[in-house]
Amino acid sequence: MNSPFAIAICAILVFGLLGLPIGYSMIAGSILYLLLANLDLGTSAEQILNGLYNSYVLLAVPLFLFSAELMNVSKMTDQLLRFCDMLVGRFRGGLGHINIVQSIIFAGMSGSAIADLAATGRISIDMMTRNNRYPLSYAAAITAASAVIGPIIPPSIPMVLYALVSDASVGYLFLGGVIPGLLMAVAQMVINTLMAHRHDFPVEAPIPLRQWPNITVTALPALLMPVILLGGIYSGIMTPTEAAAVAAAYAFLVAVLWYRNITARDTYMAVLNSARSTASIGMLIAGALVFNYVVTIEQLPLTVKGLLASYDLSATMFLVWVNVILLVLGCLLEGSTIILVILPIFIPTAKALGIDLVHFGVVAVFNIMIGLVTPPYGLLLFIITAISGAPLRTIIRDTMPFVWAMVIALAIITFVPDTVLWLPRLLGYKG
Amino acid sequence: MRETTARMLAAARWWRRRAENVAAFLLLAMFLCFILQIVTRYVFNYPLGWTDEASVLCWIWCTLWGAVFILREKDEVRFDIIYSTASAKTRCVFTVITGIAAIVLFGIALPAVIAYVTFLKVERTAYLGVRLDYVYSIYVLFSIGLIARYAGLTWRAMRGQPPDIQIGSGSAL
Repeated sequence: MNSPFAIAICAILVFGLLGLPIGYSMIAGSILYLLLANLDLGTSAEQILNGLYNSYVLLAVPLFLFSAELMNVSKMTDQLLRFCDMLVGRFRGGLGHINIVQSIIFAGMSGSAIADLAATGRISIDMMTRNNRYPLSYAAAITAASAVIGPIIPPSIPMVLYALVSDASVGYLFLGGVIPGLLMAVAQMVINTLMAHRHDFPVEAPIPLRQWPNITVTALPALLMPVILLGGIYSGIMTPTEAAAVAAAYAFLVAVLWYRNITARDTYMAVLNSARSTASIGMLIAGALVFNYVVTIEQLPLTVKGLLASYDLSATMFLVWVNVILLVLGCLLEGSTIILVILPIFIPTAKALGIDLVHFGVVAVFNIMIGLVTPPYGLLLFIITAISGAPLRTIIRDTMPFVWAMVIALAIITFVPDTVLWLPRLLGYKG
Repeated sequence: MRETTARMLAAARWWRRRAENVAAFLLLAMFLCFILQIVTRYVFNYPLGWTDEASVLCWIWCTLWGAVFILREKDEVRFDIIYSTASAKTRCVFTVITGIAAIVLFGIALPAVIAYVTFLKVERTAYLGVRLDYVYSIYVLFSIGLIARYAGLTWRAMRGQPPDIQIGSGSAL
């Protein structure tokens, strides 16, 4: 590792710490590297433009963002809550369980935790805190924690990003996320049950059986979304990117024809907001494309591989270390940055140790998503604080039990690869 | 004087709305290309090649155009643990440092970027046959727009106005 590289890394860190957006920090630092190493500065443009041009799989990101925006506008959420109440409301801590089950269903429709939280956060918290049934901080904590399920259960934006840096198949990554996502939900429900018994949280009145068909039919368009999406991908009819477009088209049609509550203005705002998020994540990807080029010239991944080889790490110990590093980074950094910049450094070693890249990807994404609710930098914690108005400190306190439960679930999927790989293999994965 | 300022603000707002229209159009066009592609392939059994390419072009333009013309400071993904706890004065200092760094580095790269893009005038895209220098010219626009934006931010920070940011609103996760 020579000095231009060290200077570039320092520059990126300083720019980032001083508040320059991370994407621009990476591009600026990489330009500095090219300058110091006497390389053509036009390479920065070349890497970004060719990278964006050739990463067809990334088009799924704006399309998934678009479908999530449309679902938010169409208020599918309200219908879903009734359906979840019907399923789990009558258990101890019922509203907490409703919150989690709703996140599972939403997870099958959108690929983003933030979109899930934006769609369901306000309603879920209002529902739980009405008549002081649950403490505000607990309602906020479980809402934020359950939103983490969103990007684990397919579709998933972070898995698309991982597919970009690892060349693993998006379809199999999506499949690999199903059981871990459900495991995460179960872990959260266990915590909710324990908390409900300890604090004597209320039970909801059971919904009479004769209302079940009606509630199910009203929620049906929303429930069908994951079926169409995943069915389309796994039957081989659509690529994941096309499926993302179909999901958006479906969300739009449902809003227009079924719920009939979307205006032209709503639609325009949904398009614009998606364009905005696309640009924001796109810049991060652009920064990662040029920075990863620099990292490759410097052969950093190979250096790391050589270094780790000298320690004679077993595959399991390597995974443990990667998990620890990612959990720590997750407390400090935004998740897509970790996926796009840090993970590529570990991927060659994972390959050399014979770790399956779908398993590695699902474990890494699961881990990094836990980082969305770990302080001091937990994106979902900030958003839920803004939505709920509860003090951040109390939300963090009430979120911690969920974090521990998710870490246990992470340990399970790390040590038992079959929890991830069983489903993809069942459907033809040869890894 | 006040009237001129008001007029400039109105013009800036007008420009932002138009820039938003363009970004929204690009995203919508990308979406419609996909839908068209799926419908022609599965309903009419007539696969189109150009839709793939058109949607990729829309994606590149939407990203770079959007980044420089429609993203507000609060939409950006940044590491803000230090920045968000700093005083307004410290933030101004931070903004001036990073602003000047961005202007200088993107500025130094600009001639090479223009050279790279113009060099591509001999190449065309595979299906639509669009000249690649036209397609990639958005990066030149992006670089210039970015330099202008950071010049504006730096100028305001020097006069004591730090940019308005909001924690963690820009991520897509």
